[in-house]
Amino acid sequence: MRGEGRQMAVISFRRIVIARMIAIGIVFLLVAAGIYGLGLDPGMVGRLVVTSTFGTRFGLENLALYMTPLLLTGAAVWLALRAGLWNIGAEGQFLAGASAAAAIGLSGGANPALAGSPAAFMSSSLTLVLAMTASFLAGALWSALPAAGRAWLGVSEIITTLLMNFIALYMVYALVTGPWADKVTGAQMSSARIEVVLPAFAGAVHCGWPIALLAVAMLALLFRRSRFSYCLALCGSNPEAARYAGIDVGRHVFVTLLLSGGIAGIGGMIEVFGTVHRLQGGLANGYGYLGIVVALLARKSALALVPAALLMAIILNAGIVLQTVQVSASAVLAMTGLLVFAIAVADDYAAWSRSGRAS
Amino acid sequence: MYRALSESVSPAQPRPAGYPHGVPPLLALEGVSKYFPGVVANENVSLAFYPGEIHALLGENGAGKSTLMNIVTGLYRPDRGELVLDGYGVSFDGPDAAIAAGIGMVHQHFKLVPRFTIAENLALGRRDMRGILSRRKLVAFARREAEKYGFAFDVEARVETLSAPEQQRVEIVRVLGRGARLLILDEPTAVLGPSEVSELYAALRRFRADGGAVILISHKLEEIMALADRVTVLRRGRVVATHLAGSLSPQALVAEMIGHAPVEALPAPEPLAVDPDRETISLRDVTMRDESGRLRVHPVSCDIFRGEIFGIGGVTGNGQVALAEMLAGLRHPDTGRILVAGQDMTGRPVAAFVEMGIGYVPQDRLRQALAPALGATENAALRVFRTPPVGGRFLWNEDAATRYARLLIDEAGIALADPSRPVRGLSGGNQQRLVLARESRIASRFLVACYPGRGLDLGAMETMRSALVALRNTGRGVVLVSEDLDELLALSDRIAVMSGGQVKAILGRGEATREDIGALMSGHGSGSR
Amino acid sequence: MTGAAGAALASLVFPGTARSAKHFGTLAESELLIGFAHTSPVNDGGWTQKHDEAIRHLHALYPAIRTLYVESVPYSADATRIFRQFVAEGAQMIIATSNYGDFISDVAEQAPDTIFLECDGHRVSDNLGWYYMTHWYASYVIGIAAARLSRSGRLGYVASFPTPSVLASANATLLGARSVNPSATLRAIPINSWFDPQAAASAGAALIDSGCDFLAGIMDDPGYLRVAQQRGVWAAMWNTDMRQFGPDAYVSSVVLDFAPFYAQTVRRRLAGSWRAEGRFLKLGEGVDRDRWGARVPPAVAREADDVRRRILAGWSPFTGPIRDSRGIVRVAEGHTMSDADIYAWDWQVQGVSGLV
Repeated sequence: MRGEGRQMAVISFRRIVIARMIAIGIVFLLVAAGIYGLGLDPGMVGRLVVTSTFGTRFGLENLALYMTPLLLTGAAVWLALRAGLWNIGAEGQFLAGASAAAAIGLSGGANPALAGSPAAFMSSSLTLVLAMTASFLAGALWSALPAAGRAWLGVSEIITTLLMNFIALYMVYALVTGPWADKVTGAQMSSARIEVVLPAFAGAVHCGWPIALLAVAMLALLFRRSRFSYCLALCGSNPEAARYAGIDVGRHVFVTLLLSGGIAGIGGMIEVFGTVHRLQGGLANGYGYLGIVVALLARKSALALVPAALLMAIILNAGIVLQTVQVSASAVLAMTGLLVFAIAVADDYAAWSRSGRAS
Repeated sequence: MYRALSESVSPAQPRPAGYPHGVPPLLALEGVSKYFPGVVANENVSLAFYPGEIHALLGENGAGKSTLMNIVTGLYRPDRGELVLDGYGVSFDGPDAAIAAGIGMVHQHFKLVPRFTIAENLALGRRDMRGILSRRKLVAFARREAEKYGFAFDVEARVETLSAPEQQRVEIVRVLGRGARLLILDEPTAVLGPSEVSELYAALRRFRADGGAVILISHKLEEIMALADRVTVLRRGRVVATHLAGSLSPQALVAEMIGHAPVEALPAPEPLAVDPDRETISLRDVTMRDESGRLRVHPVSCDIFRGEIFGIGGVTGNGQVALAEMLAGLRHPDTGRILVAGQDMTGRPVAAFVEMGIGYVPQDRLRQALAPALGATENAALRVFRTPPVGGRFLWNEDAATRYARLLIDEAGIALADPSRPVRGLSGGNQQRLVLARESRIASRFLVACYPGRGLDLGAMETMRSALVALRNTGRGVVLVSEDLDELLALSDRIAVMSGGQVKAILGRGEATREDIGALMSGHGSGSR
Repeated sequence: MTGAAGAALASLVFPGTARSAKHFGTLAESELLIGFAHTSPVNDGGWTQKHDEAIRHLHALYPAIRTLYVESVPYSADATRIFRQFVAEGAQMIIATSNYGDFISDVAEQAPDTIFLECDGHRVSDNLGWYYMTHWYASYVIGIAAARLSRSGRLGYVASFPTPSVLASANATLLGARSVNPSATLRAIPINSWFDPQAAASAGAALIDSGCDFLAGIMDDPGYLRVAQQRGVWAAMWNTDMRQFGPDAYVSSVVLDFAPFYAQTVRRRLAGSWRAEGRFLKLGEGVDRDRWGARVPPAVAREADDVRRRILAGWSPFTGPIRDSRGIVRVAEGHTMSDADIYAWDWQVQGVSGLV
């Protein structure tokens, strides 16, 4: 117990929002000080970030394109957290899903003779559906080993899911420099271009964005009204009590981690078919790890994944903007870390009241 | 600022018997008050603890014992009043200052590092054990410590492998090793069997003989009578009185504590009418092994009837819990069969037992019966979420669950405005009421209750016992696992005594004396079946 | 790959080096904003530094134009984002100083009113062009000197990746050497990096140990030049004049200068006469051999420079018969490889080993 205060059991939404606003404000001030220290005018940089992110079509599209994978990896991590599980492996599951989807996309091959015909539409729709299914299965499969270890042997999923990330990364490297290497344009560390693409939604934004939003909405609905979500909450809160309630904790842990991996896998498919159009070494871009941040920001609400992913997208896009004024990409990582830290402190701070009840 | 304290302590508080005048108390509280918004946790508490005495603190849950001890151990600072140590006024900046002053507390939930060995735990926080330590040095140090306080440990065993009583001993040695002169124990016998209790008593008496002071927080009157030199009763944050132990009857103490005389006798259970048509839980040559393959329950066959309270007695850890968990479907027998109302339930899932109307109150509320971080709503639905209106095959109806939770809360008589608040915020007694209300609703046929009185104050205990009797009187069967022989004798229609995983005897009401049962519990003696 | 298939592929990848017809209007100097995307830091001492120097030259010529740049742009979707950001910040012209493939062509499609230029690129559309320097002619000239300077006739080559550009450089060096010593050979060691002084030095030492007494390569750092200096062998470099790191060993360098090309590009853009095209910078137009090293005998320098003059006059040394490392004739007698053919070189000539 700390000081004279008392940790509140339920923290009001208002307190959280206020504490987080303060935290974000402090981070902004620190970042501004850092920018000033680099010899730049923080006001100019701030205006540049705001105008080019929110004031241009490209900036807004960038936000949506960043949000899409973050929503899905965030949802993946969030789902596992409902059961008290830390899926650190969304990055690897994302890549596994991307690889499986790329396998479908590369093997299908659009037939130029059919271009524009209903047959081509059917075949590309089929490819997309197949790729999405395959990516879900691959993502789930990628988390199956850690899931089984956690569910029935008590092996910490934090370590195993993390290690699977490295396997996935090197598997992708092996694929894109070996059997799937692009021999047409000589693109480095890339598979050949996949001709089937996700249909456009608006401008450069493909329909992966509404799909990701829909996935989050479905997750929110599932967690309002399903028995499964109740069981997960119980497994996460007290496995012993879950057993007492007649819940097969191992099976729930396994299924949850599989679903979590599958969602991250779909994120990989959408990135391949919507944004990058190739399987690529740098494809995951840290989305799996940033998904952890998004899930933590969202706390217990699935719908809060949307603003959390948006905030993360704004930060990432600010990182791109900052690079044009020679602030390095790693400074953006530091900024993200600072923000997560500040928000964690803010959440904890919001949970403390100056005074409490008698013990 | 030295002061002779003998005058300042209120004359209503007798000094320990035979204690010389002029020697100051080891620690005195003077007019200590502590307020939380809207709550008076302690008000004007004046108390003195002398070297060489065991001082019991008695009070219901919420009477202010914990707050007072948090002040003494430096976690809280009093809003008013002061602490006087060896005649000097002190103010503890934090727990470290209290430890340095020689005040040590053995908590109900031990503050040991489970993954560390005993030796490592003992060395933690010791100023003389800093820097780089060789394993040999560590082991030698730990052996020395254990011997000094009269305990023998395998100091290289990891704490997580120890039983609760062993962990308690490690905790005591650790606290004493840090130089405690004032030892505070919170419900120390809750985790102990009878033989371990007497060992603890002996250790505490040794400590007293060496000039140490003990504060004993306990609900158990017989324990206080047996051990304490003085007793202070707290009620609503205030000191009611301090007595020399033995100067007052247990009934009078209870009266002071709860403010009215306790229910003297339980509603006398009706004699058990023998009716072979009544539904039963029937065990047929049931055995069970634990994870390490040890036989925890030797072959047992018996029928438990609706309309009776079937007591299971024994020293803790002799297979009672394993048996109870089998009756509730949480564990499956390795051999043999379980029938409920004639239906074979062997190997069926917990949910099937719930559907058959078997409620279960586990021994550990926070670890097993509740999800402390979740709200009362979720906890109320814990065992009924599969069936309408709360749930279904796939669905979960939050509104229905909230309504159900409110119903249980009303039934249990808990004052709780918001069922979404985590139940860890409830007092132990209220948590148990919630569990009992939930399981009683499930128990259309039988209720299996494991140590339901653990950690409850007397008021809550009475409520719980009445509830069990009420269930029995409305034709439900109750299986009561208890370590409290008086409770078993008062409530049970029949008592099964277990020892070493065997049911030594099943005794009808009035068939055996306490002594007979005690002999059976210790593995001796025999009884009729 | 057979020659015919290679030619077919080349025509697919280079959809006509013909210029696009799309017009971009005139711009005032102060209106022009150019975004540069670099693959490494601007002070890398090599490739990107050469581009950065050219940008500074541009500012000297056109003081009112504005430029932006991003260093170390990864070869991933982040490259796309950086190009899009340049567009969002209002750049009318975006120049990637290395190959970014789809990541640039996708953005070019999305921003038809912005001009995109890709160094080492392959695609031409209305608003996307590429440029590359024909460094193989300089390598050929240096190869002649190498054969005269080497006693063993064994040349060593520190390679980054076995890309067409590296193959063209290594092949051209040996073809130059064989023009004066038909038994010369070239052994290459790829180190999978453009900038890794440690690995480059190790590879150089290994090549010397195996009998090579002349080192060449495509490296952004002077790693193997230092080794050559210590071990008393010759070395030819890339990008810049590096003689200070090994004054005795230094023979020459394939030096690059992008300033004239960038100046021309900006001039055309301002005048509204820029058209998308694929553009090879010829010998003397931004790529050349460096001033010869102090210890290169004047006779050797003269012999090599004679060939350089012939190339400047229009002669191509890449004329058949040219055999590959398995002895198969890949360029028939009387045929001359076009720059486009050389730009897509994916086989090693006879005498070259270690790259395929």
